[in-house]
Amino acid sequence: MKLPRFSRKTLCIPYVVFLIFFVIVPMLVILFYAFTDSEMRISFTNFIQFFSDPTKLSTIVYSLVIALVTTVVSLAIAYPVAYILARSTLKKKYVILMLFVLPMWINFVLRVNAIRELFNLLSTLGGMDWLANANYFKTVFGMVYDFLPFMILPLYTTMLKIDPSLYEASADLGASGFATFWRVTVPLSMPGVMSGVTMVFLPSMTNYVVSDMLGNAKVTIVGKFIYDYFGNDWHMGSMVALVLLVVVFLSTWLTGGFQAEETARGANL
Amino acid sequence: MKAKKAVSLALAAFLTLPTLSVLGGCGNGGTTVLRVYNWEEYIDEGGSGTFLCDELEEFDTDGSYRAWYEETMGTPLSEEGSAILDDFCRWYENKYGQKIRVEYSTFGTNEDMYNEIVLGNEYDLLCPSDYMIMKLAAEDRLEKYDESFFDKADPENYYVRNVSPFIRDKFATNSGLELRNDDAGKPILWRDYAAGYMWGTTGFVYNPEAMDGTIGELLEERDWGIFTSPEVSGKITAKDNVRDTYFAALGVAYQNDLLSLDRGAEDYVERLTAVFNATDDKTISEVEPVLMDIKKNIYSFETDTGKSDMVNGTIWLNYAWSGDAVYALDLAESGETEDGDSETAMSLNYYVPKAGTNLWFDGWVMPKGANKKAAQAFVNFLSMPQNAMRNSYYIGYTSVISGENMEMLDYADYLYGEEEGAEDTVEYDLSYFFGEKTSIWADREQATSRQLYAQFPPEEVISRCAVMDYYDKEASKRINELWSRVRAETLDAWAIIVIVVTVLAIAAFVVVFKFGGRIDFFRRKPKAGYRLIRQEDPNRL
Repeated sequence: MKLPRFSRKTLCIPYVVFLIFFVIVPMLVILFYAFTDSEMRISFTNFIQFFSDPTKLSTIVYSLVIALVTTVVSLAIAYPVAYILARSTLKKKYVILMLFVLPMWINFVLRVNAIRELFNLLSTLGGMDWLANANYFKTVFGMVYDFLPFMILPLYTTMLKIDPSLYEASADLGASGFATFWRVTVPLSMPGVMSGVTMVFLPSMTNYVVSDMLGNAKVTIVGKFIYDYFGNDWHMGSMVALVLLVVVFLSTWLTGGFQAEETARGANL
Repeated sequence: MKAKKAVSLALAAFLTLPTLSVLGGCGNGGTTVLRVYNWEEYIDEGGSGTFLCDELEEFDTDGSYRAWYEETMGTPLSEEGSAILDDFCRWYENKYGQKIRVEYSTFGTNEDMYNEIVLGNEYDLLCPSDYMIMKLAAEDRLEKYDESFFDKADPENYYVRNVSPFIRDKFATNSGLELRNDDAGKPILWRDYAAGYMWGTTGFVYNPEAMDGTIGELLEERDWGIFTSPEVSGKITAKDNVRDTYFAALGVAYQNDLLSLDRGAEDYVERLTAVFNATDDKTISEVEPVLMDIKKNIYSFETDTGKSDMVNGTIWLNYAWSGDAVYALDLAESGETEDGDSETAMSLNYYVPKAGTNLWFDGWVMPKGANKKAAQAFVNFLSMPQNAMRNSYYIGYTSVISGENMEMLDYADYLYGEEEGAEDTVEYDLSYFFGEKTSIWADREQATSRQLYAQFPPEEVISRCAVMDYYDKEASKRINELWSRVRAETLDAWAIIVIVVTVLAIAAFVVVFKFGGRIDFFRRKPKAGYRLIRQEDPNRL
């Protein structure tokens, strides 16, 4: 009896099985549901309804805006932090970095709940009444808080890898501090920006736990929309999910998430 | 070759042996499994804070409850109390001489449960609400209860002997729900398919001290209209599910019509029910702006944060199911928050809209293929008044059980009856629920706006309640589209255009940056690797 030859390819089998059952088949199921009606006949009604209904388009656009604002705010906060940390000569700077990343070790539902209570406290006892109904502000705040580490980490790792001799060379050639930053640091940190943006932008379009808990369920982002539909109409729910998938695919492609080149390596966590 | 074959045969035999013995073991005396699918937090789970631990000392002065427990479960009650599922296993084993294991799982909404059933998950016992029972029955997904289950002569049919006559009538008449026919043309009756578990109303929990104590008057004056009253803007919540919020919006929209119905008329409840179950296009177009107003006016759509928001003072009014209301009232009175922090005690009130509200039931049903014997035994076990008290105490909702000897009256009296030496007391009539002339004496506040009023609503409240019907496919689609319109933020066309243009501009910028100004989608890149190696060491290749 001949044993089957054990080759390196054999090691792939578990992953292939995993990919088939947990990625490819579910996608096909979504595709199937999106283009069938409740009698399981092929139909394009969901497709037509989706693109002719201002409600659904608005929700997608709305989520896009919330996700964009979240991303921009996160970037604005994370970039200086990463820059300072990467260039500082502090011996214990990894402690500071760890402090930024530390919240990730605690379940995010707990953290969001804590923020909710904090806002409640501020609005009832702190006299900040406007907070109680500032749902969009609170939603974006919660998302930024939640996703900030995902922005800081890739930025920090890419900036850390920039060779200090480049800064010296830039200074030697007479560039001012700002010119060095703009001509050297920013372009070289771009892969980190791209991967940070991807990792913040995509989840903030769908993370409806934050919008439910902090936005008092009055902010409806596309994730919540899909969830609502799956309570009773799987076909429309699948259609919305499919459209979201396309949007996500496009934005990942644009920000270079599929690159396997040297520039992106290490930055893509 | 032959030797190998013998070895493999022996191996095969060896491998099959344990399988056979396992099969044999299942034949008799094995463990029965009962798969129960219930709402979250909807049964006595034991531990501190339960009836057995906290109240029994005072309630069971003559020791009869303890004696009953010992006799029924076959073991004396332990100091730490006991979860009702464990007790069921003890009782079942005592009674039928057969081991049983309960596989207990929970769901959050009727629709979640329905999806699980449709996907083919198998259970023996489910606990859906009224409209979902009708839907499951109409789709022929349920087993009927045995006729012997409803035989009152059998002393061990605890359900039928202990259930309140009020509930029995509601189930027998389908409680105002439209009768539907099954395939054979026979009407589908609730009572064939469902045994009751809990029931209640919906109404407002409110903080009577809000607005300098005038909120109670405002509520009386506006009734359902409180949802859109600017006075309580941002201080009131609605439910985060389409059924309850649509129901409330109907109340707001048709309040005047509802109030002008003749309450003495014979068809009053039917007409009320018709208003609260309307799903035609005209109704939907009238309710939509009301829902938008509600959304603008409320603090949040919530499912269970309302109780804590009420207690910590974030909101003044919480549209709630009566059982949750009792829970919130208890919580506020104890002076604790849900997390166990201590705050100052406060008293909350419960208000039922005058124009009519929702009367709901949750009942036990058996899906097709269920283990009927074990499932019915489970329902009977929960229907023993002593067990109904435990569940009711734990979850705050009202059991459908009144008790053969009106045991639940003792329970209600024990919890809410007048204290010794109390002054302002009234007689609280509960005859409709117990089927005989009965009443308890209670504080005036308890009887008009507190836990007693919420948990055992007076007949006057019940008489203006409508049961929710289920929506057929078309109606369901209309209502869901309405809900998504309400929930979503509809943007103007120009806003969409501006945003899309901005997004595209950003995308264009990214593309330009990425390709360094030259866009070469179509040009194939040279294989860079080869060149690199050659540059490094031309002799290597």
